[in-house]
Amino acid sequence: MNMLRHRRFPALALSLLAATGLLAGCSDDSGSKPEPSPAEPGKLRVLAGSELADLKPVLDRAAQATGVRVEFTFSGTIEAAETLAAGGADGAYDAVWFSANRYPQALPEAARRLGNQTKIMSSPVVLGLAKSKADALGWTGKPVTWTDIAKAAEEKKFSYGMTDPSASNSGFSALVGVASALAGTGAAVTAGQVGAVTPELKKFFAAQVLSAGSSGWLSDAYQRRATGADPGQKIDGLVNYESVLLSLNAAGTLPEPLALIYPSDGVVTADYPLTLLSGANEQARGDYQRLTDFLRTPDTQREIMTSTHRRPAIPGVDLSAGFGPKDLVELPFPATQDAFDALLSAYFDQIRHPSRTIYVLDTSGSMAGERIDALRTSLVGLTGVTNDLVGKYRRFHGREEVTFIPFNTTPQAPISFTVPETDPQAELDKIKQTAQGLSASGGTAIYDSLDQAYRLLGQGPPADRFTSIVLMTDGENTSGSEYADFERAQAARSPELRGVPVFTVLFGEGSQSEMDGLAKLTGGKVFDARGNGLQQVFREIRGYQ
Amino acid sequence: MKRQVSIGLAVVLLAAVVVAIIMGSGDDDPPEAGLTTVRGVGGSEKAAYFADQRVVAAFAKHGLKVEFDSAGSRQIATTVDLAPYDFAFPSSAPAAQKIQQDRKVTKVYTPFFSPMAVATFAPIADLLTAHGVVRPGPTGDYQVLDVAAYLDLAAKGTRWDQLPGNTAYPARKNVLITTTDPRDSNSAAMYLSAVSFVANGNAVVSSPEAEAKVLPELTRLFLDQGYTQNSSEGPFEDYLAAGMGKTPLVMIYESQYLDRQGRADGSIRPEMRLLYPAPTVLSKHTLVPLQGRGDQVGQLLTTDQELVRLAAESGFRTSDPKVFAQVVADRKLTAPRDLVDVVEPPSYETLERLLDAVGKQYK
Repeated sequence: MNMLRHRRFPALALSLLAATGLLAGCSDDSGSKPEPSPAEPGKLRVLAGSELADLKPVLDRAAQATGVRVEFTFSGTIEAAETLAAGGADGAYDAVWFSANRYPQALPEAARRLGNQTKIMSSPVVLGLAKSKADALGWTGKPVTWTDIAKAAEEKKFSYGMTDPSASNSGFSALVGVASALAGTGAAVTAGQVGAVTPELKKFFAAQVLSAGSSGWLSDAYQRRATGADPGQKIDGLVNYESVLLSLNAAGTLPEPLALIYPSDGVVTADYPLTLLSGANEQARGDYQRLTDFLRTPDTQREIMTSTHRRPAIPGVDLSAGFGPKDLVELPFPATQDAFDALLSAYFDQIRHPSRTIYVLDTSGSMAGERIDALRTSLVGLTGVTNDLVGKYRRFHGREEVTFIPFNTTPQAPISFTVPETDPQAELDKIKQTAQGLSASGGTAIYDSLDQAYRLLGQGPPADRFTSIVLMTDGENTSGSEYADFERAQAARSPELRGVPVFTVLFGEGSQSEMDGLAKLTGGKVFDARGNGLQQVFREIRGYQ
Repeated sequence: MKRQVSIGLAVVLLAAVVVAIIMGSGDDDPPEAGLTTVRGVGGSEKAAYFADQRVVAAFAKHGLKVEFDSAGSRQIATTVDLAPYDFAFPSSAPAAQKIQQDRKVTKVYTPFFSPMAVATFAPIADLLTAHGVVRPGPTGDYQVLDVAAYLDLAAKGTRWDQLPGNTAYPARKNVLITTTDPRDSNSAAMYLSAVSFVANGNAVVSSPEAEAKVLPELTRLFLDQGYTQNSSEGPFEDYLAAGMGKTPLVMIYESQYLDRQGRADGSIRPEMRLLYPAPTVLSKHTLVPLQGRGDQVGQLLTTDQELVRLAAESGFRTSDPKVFAQVVADRKLTAPRDLVDVVEPPSYETLERLLDAVGKQYK
């Protein structure tokens, strides 16, 4: 599916942010810095959300019809807004295309770079529940409010997965939408109201059992868990775009279809405005108009609806069967960065279940030099030292339990930290010092060390935490037990431990087949740090923890 | 907060749609030989008119090819570099006065205008009628939205689901007219002009004391909406495509609605209604000649029968009321002939201060 493969963009953005001093304390450890693609007639360079990859067939046909080809560079919304604000998109892109412009619009320096906006399609964020669960809750065929949903969630009558709101727009929209609905003020939530609505939000998020950095991975994980292909706990539903949920149903691979719950008190809808940058040249402007004209013809709108399950943006194209009600109440969306920041901070530090995160870290001799430096920097980068927006939301959060298990020939003693809910900096500084003290020597005992992580998890109370393991190694296993031993041990573990995902990091000469195998066996995911750099990957993994 | 708007970005959606309908996709004809290019900049709601092939042909008869860039009226009056343009065509008289003063232009043209209106749906109009916010207009052929009654509801933070007897739209959100972003868009400024008059006890705001008095109430009307879009086409599109759930009440130019209605393409559905705020303000599209043949464009828009008729067909009220009335009759549009309750907007300086003060609250 649409993994967040940052091409070209991250290196560019990081170097630009570093250049403007926004990434103070961080070095750019990206391996490659390709030049931005130059402007050329008939090509529109678009900084976009990765979910738009599913428009490829439509855009291919648009290119044939209009002579305008779209060159996507994928990025998260917050990263993109920050890039826009720092001037990093000037001259490098002609347009941006995300599920909504609400975030960049709230940053004055980004907002002034947004030019003409043309809505191409839309999709509301709703709750999808396995049909039997929705029936059992009595939620099919009658109006359900967010308050009803929050109440059932508090009582753990169902469970769901949702994307990380700092990494993915569906998570962000869901968080804001639920906050607006539960605040019950009828107006856009302000920063000052976040404290008051936090107890209500805690109820709703009590039932969240899975987080993900991308919508695509979340859907896949839901499906694999539902069919038993993944060892993780089965989940009753997902909070996501209607289009994602309808696509899951249409794929026909779920044991039972999802019933879509459209809360009667309102939803937040993504409207996918293809947005010309104010600095785009005359040529790009003409290309933009030709392309948007074409995308808004009734035939293309129908094709988009059929192939992506997103709603048409123009009047006169009727919704096909399978969509929910045409007329949905739209909740007010905050307009200020203060409100967004207050909500995101509360979500991570107070509202969602805290994480329990174990880092199994290769400190063998082959890591000496640049590699151990990169590892130190990557971990330090998660301790609140970066001032950029994304770094801020990816740091270790309030209430989170973080454990390092450095290893070489044998696993070393685990070092654990618990970040307090308020005033976390002293504990974060300890994590930082520990990370800075990592040094490289000796052999590589991957599986003995992983086993150590499981033993540690087996001792502690795992209740109501997002528990996961990150495994970072730059080479093949040289000491102790082997991959086959891990497979055997995994089969013998309790269902809870078996369901703990391992996020493996491909680095240096690490074994791709074993890292793939571990991720598959545990319901985790492989992250490739060979091209993107360790720091980027460690940040990305935060969305899944 | 001032936003720089670079021109060349704002290609208007409506233009796109009109162009697509009239000539199919692909519109990069080479410039016609022998025509003099005249460049203008103005509000996005006029871009469709200038892109209309019949308008292009009418100008060509006079040897002109008009290139029209879109930018917000506030930006045209402040941050846009007007050097490359032969005329500016803002959507409001205050912005035009500012340009006129700055550039020492003596003669301006006001070829057409539009009252601000509120697009809604029959169930909402009925509901608000029951609550005394909507009532029949004085001539009986249109409905008005009583701004004072609306401000009462809004000041209390009334939610739709708190209106007694409301089964039509029991939404858990405030009764608020959807507007554009007051920091960017002229239609929001026009809305502010009308409500500030009522909030000021039915007088045009013209003193610092009056500004201070009305600001808290006005600010809330915008901030409670949360995120708003930066061009008047955005919320109107939502109204047409998404419907009542998203935008039960949306502030628009009357011309946007009449243009759609005149096309008879089904985008204005039977349950849709257009309300006229009482009082409303007129968006006076004012052409300020800057250089070259800009003045001739102003003259032609005022005097050329074909151009005047096409403006009326685009939903604009023409300075000769007969032309507009004829189009209304021919196309069976639901526009009243005259609006009685029309007030003047504040002066340019007052309006700017009010908009800036509201804008500062977005933080």
